[in-house]
Amino acid sequence: MKLDRGSLALAVLIVVQLACAAFFAWDVVADAPGPGQMFDTHLILEAVATVVLLVGIVVEWKYLAMLLRRQARAEKALHVAAGELQDLIEKYFQEWALTPSEADVAMFALKGYSIPEIAEFRGSKEGTVKSHLNGIYRKAGVSGRAQLLSLLVEDLMAAPLGKQAA
Amino acid sequence: MEHKKYVWDPLVRVFHWSLVALFVTLALILDPESALHVKLGYIVAGLIGFRILWGFVGSRHARFSDFPPSPRAAMGQLGDIATGRKRLHLGHTPLGALMIYNLLATIALIAVTGYMMGTVRFFGVEWVEEVHEALVGWASISVIAHIAAVIFESRRTGINLPKAMVTGYKATPQED
Repeated sequence: MKLDRGSLALAVLIVVQLACAAFFAWDVVADAPGPGQMFDTHLILEAVATVVLLVGIVVEWKYLAMLLRRQARAEKALHVAAGELQDLIEKYFQEWALTPSEADVAMFALKGYSIPEIAEFRGSKEGTVKSHLNGIYRKAGVSGRAQLLSLLVEDLMAAPLGKQAA
Repeated sequence: MEHKKYVWDPLVRVFHWSLVALFVTLALILDPESALHVKLGYIVAGLIGFRILWGFVGSRHARFSDFPPSPRAAMGQLGDIATGRKRLHLGHTPLGALMIYNLLATIALIAVTGYMMGTVRFFGVEWVEEVHEALVGWASISVIAHIAAVIFESRRTGINLPKAMVTGYKATPQED
């Protein structure tokens, strides 16, 4: 995978924030009152701030994972109209609520790779890839790979790509 | 079917588990003021020194050249996690490598500041003790993160990583 500086910066930020969260969590635990004692306002605020920080980290990870998925799928992308086509495909994947693994398999399938090839790319068994493919076809409401591809082709023919659309 | 591959030589494994035992003993069990703390601290320093040396002359997967710190590879591993791909890493994984450098550096600094506290020049100097303790805190957080990551990666890839560090063999799930 190519190194994207934006993703790397986000990853570093997540690590730094995780370290901060760990530091605050450590502090809260160390200052926690014994049994029978009252929690003071400061400690509660500190605990809430820590939790909010953790929520922020989770959101950042979701975003980073999305970026990494896009990059990973674009790796062997079609050169013609790759950007717009990928946007369209990603939109469908989201609509069908594919899991990250299914979306990965679906992209390889659209690019025409065989099941053994996809299994090798992903380091998984052929049976696993087959079950991912079944999940994809079921969610997309198609009978197989040809129909899946025709869905996209239909869309591409209906709407002109890129700048012409504006 | 499982496919076994020999990755960790005996010295790497003995180093790992000795360090685990010593870190737990020193950070959690032993009285920091005791004479034994200092003695065991020297052993930790010796272990780290050995591991750094072993990183240049050791077996294949023990060498630093086998797991260079690489942001690109680390991002690649994160990408694998995000897409559900399972790329096989025989030695240390790229993210694991970053943790190893972090732990080696942190524990080395703990040993250095610990030694400084016993020298005439730095005896009773407050910041040295503060740094020593802060580094132990950082190392503890790192150890927790290390254990969590090992459990996560073992589940994700289906390779029992803790077992590999005991037996020396990585058992990878194979195609039937």
